[in-house]
Amino acid sequence: MLKVDNLYKNFGNIRAVDGISFEVKRGEIFGLLGPNGAGKSTTISIISTLIPPTKGQILFEGESIFENPKNIRQNLGIVPQDIALYPTLTGYENLKFWGNLYGLKGAELKKRINEVADIIGLNGRLKDKVEKYSGGMKRRLNIGAALLHQPELLIMDEPTVGIDPQSRSHILDTVLKLSAAGITIIYTTHYMEEAEALCTRICIMDEGKIIASGTQQELVELVKEKTQISIKLDNISDNMPQIFKEIPGVFDAAILDDTVTLFGENGDILLAEIISKVSEENSKIQSIDIQKPNLEAVFLHLTGKALRD
Amino acid sequence: MKVISITIKDLKTVLSDKQAIIITMLMPVILMTILSMALKGSFISSDDVVAEQIKVAVVKQYDEEADSQIFNQVLEERLNIDIEGDEVNPEEVFFEDFLGSEEVLELINYRVEEEEKAMELINQGEISAIIILPEKYIYNMKINLLTPFRNNVNVKILTHPDRAINGEIITSVMEAYTNTMSSIIIGKNVLIETASANDIGGDGFDNIEEVMEGMTDLVEGMSVSIEDITVHGRQSIKSSDYYAVAMMTMFILFAAGQGGRMLLEEKDNQTYQRMVVADITKTHILAGKFIAVFLIASIQITIMLIYSYFALKVKWGDVSSVIVLSLTSAFSVAGLGIFIASITYRAGNYRIANLFENVIIQVMALLGGSFFPLDLMPEVIQKLSFISLNGLALKAYLKIIKGYNFADISSYVLILALTGSLFTIAGVIAFNKEKGAAEHAKHNKIKTA
Repeated sequence: MLKVDNLYKNFGNIRAVDGISFEVKRGEIFGLLGPNGAGKSTTISIISTLIPPTKGQILFEGESIFENPKNIRQNLGIVPQDIALYPTLTGYENLKFWGNLYGLKGAELKKRINEVADIIGLNGRLKDKVEKYSGGMKRRLNIGAALLHQPELLIMDEPTVGIDPQSRSHILDTVLKLSAAGITIIYTTHYMEEAEALCTRICIMDEGKIIASGTQQELVELVKEKTQISIKLDNISDNMPQIFKEIPGVFDAAILDDTVTLFGENGDILLAEIISKVSEENSKIQSIDIQKPNLEAVFLHLTGKALRD
Repeated sequence: MKVISITIKDLKTVLSDKQAIIITMLMPVILMTILSMALKGSFISSDDVVAEQIKVAVVKQYDEEADSQIFNQVLEERLNIDIEGDEVNPEEVFFEDFLGSEEVLELINYRVEEEEKAMELINQGEISAIIILPEKYIYNMKINLLTPFRNNVNVKILTHPDRAINGEIITSVMEAYTNTMSSIIIGKNVLIETASANDIGGDGFDNIEEVMEGMTDLVEGMSVSIEDITVHGRQSIKSSDYYAVAMMTMFILFAAGQGGRMLLEEKDNQTYQRMVVADITKTHILAGKFIAVFLIASIQITIMLIYSYFALKVKWGDVSSVIVLSLTSAFSVAGLGIFIASITYRAGNYRIANLFENVIIQVMALLGGSFFPLDLMPEVIQKLSFISLNGLALKAYLKIIKGYNFADISSYVLILALTGSLFTIAGVIAFNKEKGAAEHAKHNKIKTA
């Protein structure tokens, strides 16, 4: 459905996107992962036809989106990370406005608004002003505004940032329902568990490049022999990862919040060494968690840094 | 359809903002009411307060030489009085002793003009009044001053309706002159009567006593009088008229201020990017906002026209002229709003929009006469009033209230329409101008964490 080919984008001397290529297949949920500055937002903006690339090509249904942006625009729904709505208008007025912009009107528009309200679970609250909505409700309406014209491709940019668990769960269910209804979704997130729960294929970006891509299973294969050990400490020094890396069998180590995450072979044997090192550093272990390899481990393995650094 | 959707959405957004409603709709209504009431007593006229010399033209309808000849002839042939007609020169008295006196010169700057030229000058607003010295003025004044007889002298003062105060001042000064002249004439009369009663006069006065007795009672009425005429069909401006117009023309500028924020707000809310993805062109977006600002200004004007008509009893004058001027003013404000919106969008911050609302509107209000009548201002500022949209609209509305017809305000309408068009074109160019790559991305990129 969407083919990104050798895409570059420079901002002055800064290369934000560095020759990336990937393909999004019809009906899949395609995850785009990466830390700040990885180039995700620039890539999304180029796909959305908001900014032109420095070089490269993007084909939507075999047609260049730069030569004929209308084609993708008519079939694209975008859910920005920010709430792109009018807070002083009601939910209904917001949906009506966006529906109008996509050429919907009259009975057809009303029908679509009702259908979308069902999908996002806001029936009964559409008469309220958006400024009175909770964060989760705003996020759901933000998604609804992108669905009115029944797009074939939906780009969702961090749609669950800053909301309560209940709303988050509702949104994840909604994404799965939309996918089941045949909508192709490009989904960016920081939350590994979301990517793991939703995405059929994942593309990991860092510093403008794609460092890995594939299904979740394919990516985890990269670190299948590695155990992830997360140690929560009461006192973490900056050089702690380096100290752990000196332990034979430890490949990578990184700090995330008050936890040091490291990867190594044979975690049970490593534990004794780790406890010894912590003691030498005058720190105390609050908890230890030994996990199977996951996307976090993949990212750490590939970049040497935690995803949310 | 898309443009209309954007317009309706913007209108709903503005009308749902209580603060915006207070500033744009309620404030001007309150202010025009307060100012109209508070300045009712002290507000004498629209834009007519004396700051400098009042310019007047003096028209001589008489022929000085012919009048003097006739006077001398009458003296010799009919009255047989031995008086030197050249001893008193009424022209010299009027122009040098009166208009040329230090006190009058402080107030009045006169020039002698032909009647046609004088009318042209007053219609152009170059002068505030015309003093018309009638036919046989010299002859009649000589009769009044040098003989026991009294002839009626009717000095006309034609004042400009836009300068009612100046007209009143000219009238007062002329009344002072005529009173003085009447006193002189009465005094001279008394002298002649006394001389006659005591048989002091010469032979020429033998028969005059009888005539004078009958004439004395009529001296005042028959001496110099003033006929004060204002141009036919013109209404004077009351404080309520002035401040209804002044507040209305000032506060519609805030509609431009609101419009000036619209584009950047769309961008900051990511709704602009969402519109672009929805295949809405820049032209659609600008057109939608232009119409929204136009309608906001039109709503403001309508509310203030209706309120001032019923509550302040402002008679707005010719309806069709008011409608055309109102639509043109709203058009001009919409153009200005689009221009500010575009440059604010390009700047990427609200400094320009804030500057416009907090400083430029106030300066335009001052220059345009929304705070104080323009005639109170120095001449330089009066000339600068033409660069303010509200100043142009204010002048035109006042003219309609005074009774001028559409042809008289057509130049204002044209300038407002032209200004609105130029602002719109500049706004479209600024909005459509391609940015550098980095700037482009800054404006359009979707935010991600």
